[in-house]
Amino acid sequence: MSALVGTMRSLKFSRELVLLGVLIALIVVMTLLDPLFLTPITMLNTSRFFVEVGLMALGMTLIIITGGIDLSVGSNLALVSVAVGFSFAAGLPLPLAILFGLVVGVAAGLFNGLFITLLNVHPLVVTLGTLALFQGLAYGISKAQAVSDFPGWFAYFGQAYLGPIPGQLFIFVMAVAVVWVILSRTSFGRYVYAIGNNEEAARFSGVPIRKVKLALYSGIGLLVGMAAVIYTSRVYTARGDSGVGLELDVISAVVLGGASIYGGSGTIGGTVLGVLIIATLRNGLILAGVPSTWQLFVLGVLLLAAVFVNEFFRKGEE
Amino acid sequence: MSETRAPTPTERGGAGGESVRRFLARPAAPALAFLAVLLVAFTLANDRFLTASNLESIVDSVAVLGIIALAVNQVILCAEIDISTGSMLGLCAIAAGAVSLSTGGILLPLLAGVAVGALAGAINGALVTLGRIPAIIVTLGMLYALRGVILLVTGGTWITGVPEPTRFLGTGKVLGISVPVLILFGLFLVMELVNRHSTWGRNVFAVGGNRVAARFAGLPVNRVRFVAFTLVGVFVGIASMIYLGRAGSVQTNTGVGLELQAVAAVVIGGTSISGGRGSSLAALTGAVLIGVILNGLILMGVPGIWQDAVLGGLILLAVTTDVLRRRLVGDKA
Repeated sequence: MSALVGTMRSLKFSRELVLLGVLIALIVVMTLLDPLFLTPITMLNTSRFFVEVGLMALGMTLIIITGGIDLSVGSNLALVSVAVGFSFAAGLPLPLAILFGLVVGVAAGLFNGLFITLLNVHPLVVTLGTLALFQGLAYGISKAQAVSDFPGWFAYFGQAYLGPIPGQLFIFVMAVAVVWVILSRTSFGRYVYAIGNNEEAARFSGVPIRKVKLALYSGIGLLVGMAAVIYTSRVYTARGDSGVGLELDVISAVVLGGASIYGGSGTIGGTVLGVLIIATLRNGLILAGVPSTWQLFVLGVLLLAAVFVNEFFRKGEE
Repeated sequence: MSETRAPTPTERGGAGGESVRRFLARPAAPALAFLAVLLVAFTLANDRFLTASNLESIVDSVAVLGIIALAVNQVILCAEIDISTGSMLGLCAIAAGAVSLSTGGILLPLLAGVAVGALAGAINGALVTLGRIPAIIVTLGMLYALRGVILLVTGGTWITGVPEPTRFLGTGKVLGISVPVLILFGLFLVMELVNRHSTWGRNVFAVGGNRVAARFAGLPVNRVRFVAFTLVGVFVGIASMIYLGRAGSVQTNTGVGLELQAVAAVVIGGTSISGGRGSSLAALTGAVLIGVILNGLILMGVPGIWQDAVLGGLILLAVTTDVLRRRLVGDKA
């Protein structure tokens, strides 16, 4: 047994390759369960559901690499959705309402960032507080009502197709490219890893820790804003309970993608694979007729298993 | 550790400023002061507020929250966190309710609820200590996994018609005082004694204050944390009987959001979220404060949908106060 563990640990494996293998295996299993699964139409349709989680997971990857976390993304999505819907209902032209929503998203993220950097409190506590605060504001402002009388062109963000390809897939691919460049090809990206590896050492090396963190938490606010607009357009309704519990999907995807929850490691490629695996799993469970009650359970267990496997192999690499 | 630490020479001055500093150094001080101000304000605003029966009904309404907060307090004192208690309460209440429907009585349903809670808490503790997974991830995963289990075992149906004898812990009265209030204060006294006089209680503060130092001092760091997580399950099991008694039924969404309220009660009361400093009095004060504020919001006619926003604001306010107070007292802990 211990010999087996030793061999497994000594294997020099690429995490991305393993995840790709898992994804392919998952698709094969799903196809066996339901032949309809492996059709281009189904696959492309799946993409309509993971773009929102994917956008937020990109920002969350960078935050988790610094050793932080943002639990408030689901509530922030609800807040932006309500901001867009209810400013529009109050008479603001829709383009301005969407802009207002994005500003709200960034402001909410900046609020998190300021709290975390000025008071030097762990992000976990701050975003646990704002998880409740943003959710409450979204409920309170919307008075638990919904807005859905948007003009027809609003559907463009979440329901449009370019040929057979859902429109939001292009937004996601662009966002992936931008965030990848930032993380892998800029000094800002190196700062992110430096903070996660050793914040104290990074500070003494002259890394502007506060500015980096403020940028990260505001940045995820912008991504949440974009996700909220797409979500609101896709379901064509602005409600205070949009995005409840989405933080679980987002954090699971990032951790599944190999980012260490203790900070210092993680890649955009891994996160994208994590997002795809979770989306395939969710979609597959639905297609296979598995009751939705199982999905929460599967996702919760998956999150725990992913963290455990991650740390297990990381110990082997050291 | 400040609750019982010896006064430093600068604190023995006895001058006015010094006694203020010493009061501020107590973890529960700001919350107690805030609670006193609120009680006076509500009494002036509404002459029916400060009656024994109204105060009892407020404490009665936070009994479930307060009991859970007392245990979550121990976890936070260890510098860990538990946000799975909402789903845990639902599952314990279902276990207790199901047993009650088939056997009736108090003891067997209570044992069922406590056993299920202890098992869930032990899983949390094992994953955190043996699995070395951060508590926030473990308990976030468990929050959803346990909710999934609830939906699985109930198939989405409610448990209703809980027999009257089982409901005694939630609705009964002993010597004219409601049973939930008695249980809450009983457990509070137990936890105060545990924290002051038991080895485990002292170890909790040591582990939360400085885990590395605690390990080098030879303390069983993992066992201390494992017991804290398991204790949460046990207390949630006890609280589930009060819930069951008060509600008389269990829904699949029982306890949703309670995990946030429990953490809020602990940090609002004055236990430091970074561990090692705080008291059971802080958790109790925080829970009562939340009860008074929610009660006050209703009195002022604020719609219930703002509850979450108020709760979130309170958590942030408490965290800010904690940081500022520590800077004021000059405590680097």
